[in-house]
Amino acid sequence: MVLHLPEADQKILDNKSLIVKELNRFTCNVLSDNDELRPYETDGLNVYKQKPLAVVLPENTKEVSEILKYCYQHNIKVVPRGAGTGLSGGSLPLKDCVLMSMGKFNKILEKDFKNRCVVTQPGVTNLAITQAVQDQGYYYAPDPSSQLACSIGGNIAENSGGVHSLKYGTTTNNVLGVEIVLIDGTILRIGGKHLDSEGYDLLGVFMGSEGLLGVVTEATVKILKKPEAVRAVLIGFNSIEDAGSCVSDVISKGIVPAGMEIMDKPLIIATENYAKAGYPRDVEALLIVEIDGTASEVEAMIQKVLDIAKMNKASYNKASNSDEERMKFWKGRKAAFSACGVISPDYICMDGSIPRNKLADVLGYINQLSKKYNLRVANCFHAGDGNLHPLIMFDSNDPKELKKAEDFGADILKYCVKVGGVLSGEHGIGVEKRELMCEMFNNNDIQQQLSLKKAFDKKNLLNPGKVYPILHRCAEEGRIHIHKGKTKFPDLPRF
Amino acid sequence: MNDIYSPVNEKEVSDFIYECHKDSSPIEIIGNNSKKIGRVIQCSKTLCLENINGIIEYFPEELYIKVKAGTSLEEIENTLDSKNQTFGFEPMDLGFLYEGKSRGGTIGGVVACNLSGPRRFKIGALRDHLLGFKAINGSGEQIKSGGTVVKNVTGYDLSKLVSGSYGTLCALTEVTLKVLPKYEYQETFCIYGLTHNEAINFFSTAMDTSLEISGACFYPADNTGFFRLNDVKQNNSILSLRVEGPKTSVQERIQQLRKIFVASDYSVLDIFQSKAFWNLSKNLELFKNINEIVCKLSLPITNASEFLSKFSNDIKYFIDWAGGLIWLSTKDIETISKMRIFSVKNNGHLTIYKSDDNYRRTEEFLTCGDTNFKILSSKIKKSFDPNLILNPGKMYAGI
Ligand SMILES: Cc1cc2nc3c(=O)[nH]c(=O)nc-3n(C[C@H](O)[C@H](O)[C@H](O)COP(=O)(O)OP(=O)(O)OC[C@H]3O[C@@H](n4cnc5c(N)ncnc54)[C@H](O)[C@@H]3O)c2cc1C
Ligand SMILES: Cc1cc2nc3c(=O)[nH]c(=O)nc-3n(C[C@H](O)[C@H](O)[C@H](O)COP(=O)(O)OP(=O)(O)OC[C@H]3O[C@@H](n4cnc5c(N)ncnc54)[C@H](O)[C@@H]3O)c2cc1C
Repeated sequence: MVLHLPEADQKILDNKSLIVKELNRFTCNVLSDNDELRPYETDGLNVYKQKPLAVVLPENTKEVSEILKYCYQHNIKVVPRGAGTGLSGGSLPLKDCVLMSMGKFNKILEKDFKNRCVVTQPGVTNLAITQAVQDQGYYYAPDPSSQLACSIGGNIAENSGGVHSLKYGTTTNNVLGVEIVLIDGTILRIGGKHLDSEGYDLLGVFMGSEGLLGVVTEATVKILKKPEAVRAVLIGFNSIEDAGSCVSDVISKGIVPAGMEIMDKPLIIATENYAKAGYPRDVEALLIVEIDGTASEVEAMIQKVLDIAKMNKASYNKASNSDEERMKFWKGRKAAFSACGVISPDYICMDGSIPRNKLADVLGYINQLSKKYNLRVANCFHAGDGNLHPLIMFDSNDPKELKKAEDFGADILKYCVKVGGVLSGEHGIGVEKRELMCEMFNNNDIQQQLSLKKAFDKKNLLNPGKVYPILHRCAEEGRIHIHKGKTKFPDLPRF
Repeated sequence: MNDIYSPVNEKEVSDFIYECHKDSSPIEIIGNNSKKIGRVIQCSKTLCLENINGIIEYFPEELYIKVKAGTSLEEIENTLDSKNQTFGFEPMDLGFLYEGKSRGGTIGGVVACNLSGPRRFKIGALRDHLLGFKAINGSGEQIKSGGTVVKNVTGYDLSKLVSGSYGTLCALTEVTLKVLPKYEYQETFCIYGLTHNEAINFFSTAMDTSLEISGACFYPADNTGFFRLNDVKQNNSILSLRVEGPKTSVQERIQQLRKIFVASDYSVLDIFQSKAFWNLSKNLELFKNINEIVCKLSLPITNASEFLSKFSNDIKYFIDWAGGLIWLSTKDIETISKMRIFSVKNNGHLTIYKSDDNYRRTEEFLTCGDTNFKILSSKIKKSFDPNLILNPGKMYAGI
């Protein structure tokens, strides 16, 4: 698949051996042979592949700072990489870039129960944080399905969420501080163990910035006490509309479940075959609702949810009676991707966010598109916060199918924006949805974001070619002031 | 005072700022002038956004409200109230602090100051509840960011940047905020007679449970006179823990608190007193009608004891956010300087909320010890406002 990336700088390519030699001055972990580079040529969006000029694996902040400073001075592009599980191509290398893998930043630095936080290096996996504090009854709340593998640095860059984000928020709500290194080598500490910092909220704007503003070298994350009681219920419906309106009713009655997920029939069947979670096969939509709190509160809420489900014509329900059973309920949902991997050679996972009451509408549209493109699709939603994950299945051996799958995905996302939603809820824009940014933003909006990028990275060397369109003229250079509707070439396509 | 221009729509705001941008002529942005916050600045022009007001859309079941930035907090809160909803971040009414009576100001001002109340440590700050906005930047261009949905990683999260930017990046014209259903019930568990050190330890004990405490503050003995509530014991220090949720769950959790703190002198405030208590606390009524410098200090919890051991005799104060925040006042400028030094050393943030204009003119409003942070802040300011015309110098001298 041809993907437009910023043009490679021939001078840099020609200087490879010198650059590698120089990089070796700053760290002993530099990879440059073709074979060594291969593991880094792609991320979770593996339809795109590109080997970088070289890979560095720095071991401490000083090395990161020196490498970045060197690259900045010599106009060398840098792409940060965590565990490479990203689904939007955020850590896809460029031919002339230094790929900075944070894999050696793999230590938890401090567990501070008094301030209820953990200080960690960014290469530590999401799950490892919970594992480090669970013996004291604590956990780290954001729980992406990839939590076994993905890194905290990557989570920060993508503002990752999980099935429990409905109640406990995404990464941005759970990180208290970071140490970052800017492309010119400047080391900055933002936030810390306290709650609010004064001044511009650099911490907030850094969350979800997809590795474009700086490299995270340390993070302080909030940990929460485990709830006293947790239970989940499986609820089946004969139509997706009923499931959707059940979700809206639960939320508007003031119940905030810990998690609330919907799966459609194709996904129920696929996950049930794969994970044997005990899901009913004869329903059109399955809702998993998890409630936590004190024991009696959980009981009362589960009952309320079941009452609401009944009013919405639920045809099936089953509540968990033990933690093992609850985990089994989630086993299917958490295996959604693997299950699709089994029934189709390839799939891409979309990630739009929509207003909750549009769920049925959007799903109906997705099914129409599935017929139009003649590609199978299975759907899971973080229904409580309107975040959709349609999994579009295709066969990449047929080059036409990838294009079709991408067009299908783009149509879904455009529709999400049309009904008042956004292009990405938690996977980021990366290279995948870059050209769709103009569906949501106009020229002024994009230019403002690019100006902000310049404040952090004047030469646009850190992870260029991601998030912002490069095919559209307006994003190339310079700022066009459209005032009072007057512009030099009003009929040229812009945002 | 200079002339005040009060546009009635976005286009007028845009045109006005565009003209000022061309002439590099500085503008002070005001909502309805309720908060004398930030440094005193010299501007030839004042832009008042009070007339850009009204509720644009409110979908209770989608849990958000979209309003024009000049809408009064009061109007918005009344609207939410009618659907039994509220802002989770509990915006403070700073009118008591500045004028001795209620004056919540406009929502634009509330967002620009990132005002977050007692629930902050549990549910996040205002910045966590701003889903999207529209604004005019310093070049007169209309910009927008975010949307109406909670999960969103579509470009930089500018909502975070504008929250707490005190009108120095852009003039907000429209904001979309997350709303929450009101809690059905609440009670507050008060413990009396603790020292500040004991209080910090008690916070820790309470937070180390699964009881979902949603308010945790401490007032030393001589600062509690303004809580005139039946079940609040006078002449004692008070540590208060708020529990919210369905009635049975609240009562169950209060019961657990009784067990944990059985050896202490305590009382329980019913729903009415509990609401009144947290309103008085949230709106800083402790500092009503006093003529002193009032500041907010955000500190790691473990540094709060040391801070209070050093300074508690020189200040009037209370602790909020389960030990994470100290509100305080003092007459003495020297004390403020010493606290600033302490704060910078201990990774804290001290912000002056109220002071006389002389102090506001000459002294810093925020306490920033990091030059690199300031350099980057200055670049960010320029990325929104290249000619530095919006509230110049309000946050930091020169930015
Ligand atoms: C099976 C599967 C399930 C998934 N489920 C979820 C889910 O439930 N929820 C969800 O939100 N996501 C999910 N994802 C997506 C992905 O796991 C997340 O986006 C994750 O946060 C990426 O982390 P990573 O360490 O793999 O980052 P990478 O993929 O290596 O990088 C992602 C981005 O972060 C940047 N980056 C990485 N580290 C740093 C750093 N230290 N400093 C600065 N920038 C950095 C990169 O430049 C890139 O732009 C899933 C992915 C897979 C494969
Ligand atoms: C009677 C009176 C006397 C005064 N005397 C003096 C004086 O002696 N010296 C002096 O320097 N000033 C004086 N002022 C000005 C006043 O102190 C400042 O205007 C004030 O600090 C600005 O905030 P505010 O009171 O408008 O509060 P709000 O309107 O609540 O605003 C609070 C903050 O939010 C910002 N803001 C509000 N709305 C928006 C929006 N829509 N978009 C972006 N940002 C926004 C404001 O810029 C401000 O930073 C006086 C004002 C009055 C009414």
